[in-house]
Amino acid sequence: MSKASFTSRRAPAHHYIQALILGVILTLAVSVAVGASNPDDFWLAAAIGALCAAYPAMSLGGKVFVSNHTVTRDPHGEQSVELQWMRQAGAGAFLDVLVVIVVASLVLVIGRFEIDALPVLLGLVALSAVDAGLRYVAIRYRALK
Amino acid sequence: MKNNLADRRAERHWTQADLAAALGVSRQTVISIEREKFDPSLPLAFQIARTFDCRIEDIFIAD
Repeated sequence: MSKASFTSRRAPAHHYIQALILGVILTLAVSVAVGASNPDDFWLAAAIGALCAAYPAMSLGGKVFVSNHTVTRDPHGEQSVELQWMRQAGAGAFLDVLVVIVVASLVLVIGRFEIDALPVLLGLVALSAVDAGLRYVAIRYRALK
Repeated sequence: MKNNLADRRAERHWTQADLAAALGVSRQTVISIEREKFDPSLPLAFQIARTFDCRIEDIFIAD
């Protein structure tokens, strides 16, 4: 993993068109596959599949055809202390989330509670992001004080 | 790992930002190395040695 930064440079126009074409093709492919898996509601399923696939498909097109012109990699990014801080924060956050999941699972099993999965999953995403961010700040503070 | 990077930098009247720019790393990286809280990678250690025209073991001393 190395640090990258965006530049003000632009890719040639035909690269944007190629990215768009790739994105559309991938979106259509996923859409048809999802629709085919639900023949009773083909168009509804295909539309939902298209909505879900459009952003990642367009992003992939940008990554393949555009980002080489607009993003520069920091050749010394691997050697900076910030990368070590990020790794430490990520590893710590992973263990924190793991402990939370284990404890919460035990509480649910023992207490026989039933809760919706979606809020819990969103909470875990928020917890891991906030945890990693706080850990990074704490590690940075300890290292520089 | 102990090092005398701060002394060598001071001999040249370089700031931490000057050294960071010469090495192509962040100032926090230089601060962390000088305070011996971060051991640089081997490529960075070689680069530091080249910058100060000496050998790696002249700057870094194993504990």
